[in-house]
Amino acid sequence: MEHQSHILHAFDRDLESIQANIMKMGGLVEAAIAQAATALETQDADLAQSVRAGDKAIDALEQQVNEEAARILALRQPIAGDLRTVLTVFRLSGSLERMGDYAKNIAKRTGVLMAMAPINGSAKSLRRMARQVELMLKDALDAYIQRDAGLAADVRTRDVEVDQMYTALFREYLTFMMEDPRNITACMHLHFIAKNIERMGDHVTTIAEEVIYLVDGAYPDDDREKGDQTTQGGANGG
Amino acid sequence: MNVMQQVEAAVTQTAPKISAKAVDVFYGDTHAIKAVDVEIADKMVTAFIGPSGCGKSTFLRCLNRMNDTIDSARVTGRIDLDGEDIYAPRVDPVQLRAKVGMVFQKPNPFPKSIYDNVAYGPRIHGLARDKSDLDAIVEKSLRRAALWEEVKDRLTAPGTGLSGGQQQRLCIARAIATGPEVLLMDEPCSALDPIATAQVEQLIDELRSRFCVVIVTHSMAQASRVSQKTAFFHLGELVEFDDTDRIFTNPGDHRTESYITGRIG
Repeated sequence: MEHQSHILHAFDRDLESIQANIMKMGGLVEAAIAQAATALETQDADLAQSVRAGDKAIDALEQQVNEEAARILALRQPIAGDLRTVLTVFRLSGSLERMGDYAKNIAKRTGVLMAMAPINGSAKSLRRMARQVELMLKDALDAYIQRDAGLAADVRTRDVEVDQMYTALFREYLTFMMEDPRNITACMHLHFIAKNIERMGDHVTTIAEEVIYLVDGAYPDDDREKGDQTTQGGANGG
Repeated sequence: MNVMQQVEAAVTQTAPKISAKAVDVFYGDTHAIKAVDVEIADKMVTAFIGPSGCGKSTFLRCLNRMNDTIDSARVTGRIDLDGEDIYAPRVDPVQLRAKVGMVFQKPNPFPKSIYDNVAYGPRIHGLARDKSDLDAIVEKSLRRAALWEEVKDRLTAPGTGLSGGQQQRLCIARAIATGPEVLLMDEPCSALDPIATAQVEQLIDELRSRFCVVIVTHSMAQASRVSQKTAFFHLGELVEFDDTDRIFTNPGDHRTESYITGRIG
């Protein structure tokens, strides 16, 4: 990556500002994931509510980042590494915003689940899964700021673990529902939460791929291993 | 590979129009061009970019032996046009320049009529048998330079009375009237406003179906808009030569990246 300054310092300030906002967004999303999972595990309605309210700040940052990026495209006409920086910012802001939405949705479902009979151990598994995604996000953002394609490639391979956790939970909820139809509503919500976390993992993978594009100028072309087997016939009717 | 890249790859595979090997240029004691090797394809626009004094214009001028007119200039190495050494003793520089036309930074029409500006080259090279033949060459050249419709009713008016953009297109018409195979352009738009620039750029894009075009430009945006290949010169060296889209999205050399992104001058 190019660390030399531009002759025109204002261009550097623009690029730094937009990347600082991406990191701010990333920090808010990391916190939202952790808090949504904690709220679910500890049945904390206030914490869940604050996650829901906090999504507005993430959305506002996304808008701000996209406006700044459009402004840089129009006024600075970035090329080469600078162009990749701006393109990457657009995609990162999109992925982070979606992740914020998933965290908010988890918090919403937490409110609904609190009114129901708890399903044994379910929140702990989801907490572990969320923790995994949160750590992947942290490393992806570190890889971004350090322009570390190796770390990004590592993050990318770790999504398979999230997929495997999702497949395991999918089977578990299916079993619970078959055992007792009264579990269906709660298990459906839990399943959506698991699916949300699995989707967050995919967005982190996208962020990691963007970091590789930013550093190398090309996307990784190998097919990565997928751990989600719920769409393959025979997995308990999945 | 998309269709555009396939077409361009197919073109690249044919023999180069111009081939330079180990070219050095000295102005007195100044070593202006250092061991440049490059192959320039036909029917394509090749852009030379680089900071002022990097040697891009000097190298462009080697391609039609314009440096011969400078006493202190010395060119070594070999430059072939269609496989023929253009610096061979039997090559007549005047004939060479009819084959390798040139357009300069500032429009420089002769103080003559529009018609005579274009007819000048064909006349001195004896390319027209009679008046109607010459009329046809003038019309064809002005049409190819996208100027015919604007001047067809005032061909006897002085060329210097045209707008800057029209004058530059007149110079392009004059350059192509002798039926060249290569067109060299040394910052052809730097004295033009944005509309005239766009018209000349559109013309350059049309010209590449018939000619091998080499353009020196200070505008990175212009190089990226009009060329298919870009060469980056720095301190007399050819640092990088690659497909234009590659140079502007993911250049291979850090000096290229620094220059095109505005980090070194």
